Amino acid sequence: MAKIKLDIFRFDEATDTIPHRDEVTVDLPETTTVLDALEYAKAEVDGSISFRRSCRSAICGSCSMSIGGVTSLACKTSCGSAMEEDGSVKIDPMPNFQPMKDLVVHMDPFWDKYARLKPYLQPKDADSAHATERRVSPDDMKKLVDVANCIMCATCYSLCPVVSVDPAFAGPAAIAYAYRFIEDVRDGQRPERLAQISEDYLWLCAHCYACSYCPKHVDPNDRIIDVKRAAITDRVMMNERGPRHALVVARTIKQTGMLAETEVIQGTVGRFNIRGLLKVAPLGARMALKGKLPPPFLKPVPKVDEIRTIFDALEAPVR
Amino acid sequence: MSSTLLPEERALDAHVRTNSSKSKRYGFFPGCVAKESCKELFNSTMLLADKLGIELVELTAASCCGASVLNDTNRDVARVLNARTYAQAEALGLDDVITICSTCTGHMRAANKELRESEEHMAQANAILGKFGANYKGSVTVRHLLWLLIDDIGLDALQAMVVRPLNGLKVAPFYGCHIIRPESVNGWESARHPHSLEDVIVALGGEAVDYAGKTRCCGFHVQLEKDGIASSMVGQNMRMAKDNGAEAVITPCPLCHLALDGYQADAAARWGRTDLPIFHLPQLVAYALGVPAEKLGLNKHLIDPREVMVSRDLIN
Repeated sequence: MAKIKLDIFRFDEATDTIPHRDEVTVDLPETTTVLDALEYAKAEVDGSISFRRSCRSAICGSCSMSIGGVTSLACKTSCGSAMEEDGSVKIDPMPNFQPMKDLVVHMDPFWDKYARLKPYLQPKDADSAHATERRVSPDDMKKLVDVANCIMCATCYSLCPVVSVDPAFAGPAAIAYAYRFIEDVRDGQRPERLAQISEDYLWLCAHCYACSYCPKHVDPNDRIIDVKRAAITDRVMMNERGPRHALVVARTIKQTGMLAETEVIQGTVGRFNIRGLLKVAPLGARMALKGKLPPPFLKPVPKVDEIRTIFDALEAPVR
Repeated sequence: MSSTLLPEERALDAHVRTNSSKSKRYGFFPGCVAKESCKELFNSTMLLADKLGIELVELTAASCCGASVLNDTNRDVARVLNARTYAQAEALGLDDVITICSTCTGHMRAANKELRESEEHMAQANAILGKFGANYKGSVTVRHLLWLLIDDIGLDALQAMVVRPLNGLKVAPFYGCHIIRPESVNGWESARHPHSLEDVIVALGGEAVDYAGKTRCCGFHVQLEKDGIASSMVGQNMRMAKDNGAEAVITPCPLCHLALDGYQADAAARWGRTDLPIFHLPQLVAYALGVPAEKLGLNKHLIDPREVMVSRDLIN
């Protein structure tokens, strides 16, 4: 048994203007889950502590909260694994959400982004009388099972740095769930779905892999890359900066072996997009003053033909 | 915070450490940015290598690692490009490849993991490499210079080499996503609670500043996608570092360096002025090991680090 100090964020939007913290000490083994420790604290010490929970076994996705600074499922995280040196466990509501009461947050923005996806199958032949079941081969289904494991706990959404600065971004879970339907052979809305998720800033993903902390190993990070690739293959919104950037990076690597910074900036923003280029100009000017501007042209690396052979053999697209 | 490592993370940590090479000659993959807009990183790395008594042999015919962007266009091209780089390293007898960029580290390791774990991927790569007479056997290990400092030099030895301690300079670490995440690819230390940069800061005689932003994203990869995103991410993280007392920041990633050094000015309107100078990892280590400050390219930074260094009596 150990003295575990639960350092809990307290706030009630009905009565409080600013949050405070309470420290509740419980005498439990370090292997106790944070959820069990909170249940104990609520039952034995302070019945007003509020948090969401249901299944207690990482299936329902209700008890996600920030534990020791990283969002995790309270039912899947032991107190010992998140303990500071002084024996305290810091528990906060999920970031990127408005707190409602203590560890309970307003989930609406997260659900709204799901709802925009129309997260249900829209079969190709919905209008015709369909006499038989719609069959999917095991190989086609294999692509979808990992994503279907998503329990909508919002761990990824709460850890996403892009959501934290731009709430218009769909967020990792919604993009992964878009993938689930985009790659479903039975679905008839692939073009519409790709257009929708592109409009919801698919290309704003910062490649940070914070969503690799997914407790169910859905790993939205990899599915986001898959959806981007599908958008390029189907040529969806190709004049936006995201696809332009990806393809101009590919072109400079094919031409020189290197990612040519100057050309990537011009190619992404648009060589004739004067307004866009003026916006990046001040930083460019500051860098130029320090002699830090990347070279305008790069000499190809030795044996660059080998690199071109690789691109051609794989039919990798470039712009 | 080693106490917060999960048992399986600790086991992985120990496993990776004991399998590290003790060789003093390394394959060196500088990456694109250290050859383009952050030449000061390349130069200070070479100066540091001299001080450490190691030889970094540049893989001059290597290509870009894919920079996390090539995967968006084609599933295989980055993996095969990296296989070509590894084949070159093997041919030169340089299986231990060292990087100086978090993004290179993560993406080269991811490609290597796929090649080594899948016969299908390895066969596909070698079928293409065979067109120009190259072949990858799978013997390469990719590590960041940061890991080399701790595994091969050792923190105690590093500390013993310090001739100009940092006089308690308060330095905030900024890891850069791809050197820690995903854990399944990097796994050298806990992604949630890394402490290698803190350990190096302390070994150099500085004080490590803890803040929530240290493992977060600098926004570099979306700086062009939509105006204001990267600068907001920079502002948010640098505000946290500054509020926790940081006087400077150290990063093992030149992409983070470009974003953090470049966008603090733009972020000031929303997040207040932070003006934290950003050191490349090898710059600060090389300085402490006695490389003259004027050789480290500190004048190339948009936020000049020399003022802070003067205030701590590190330079005149």
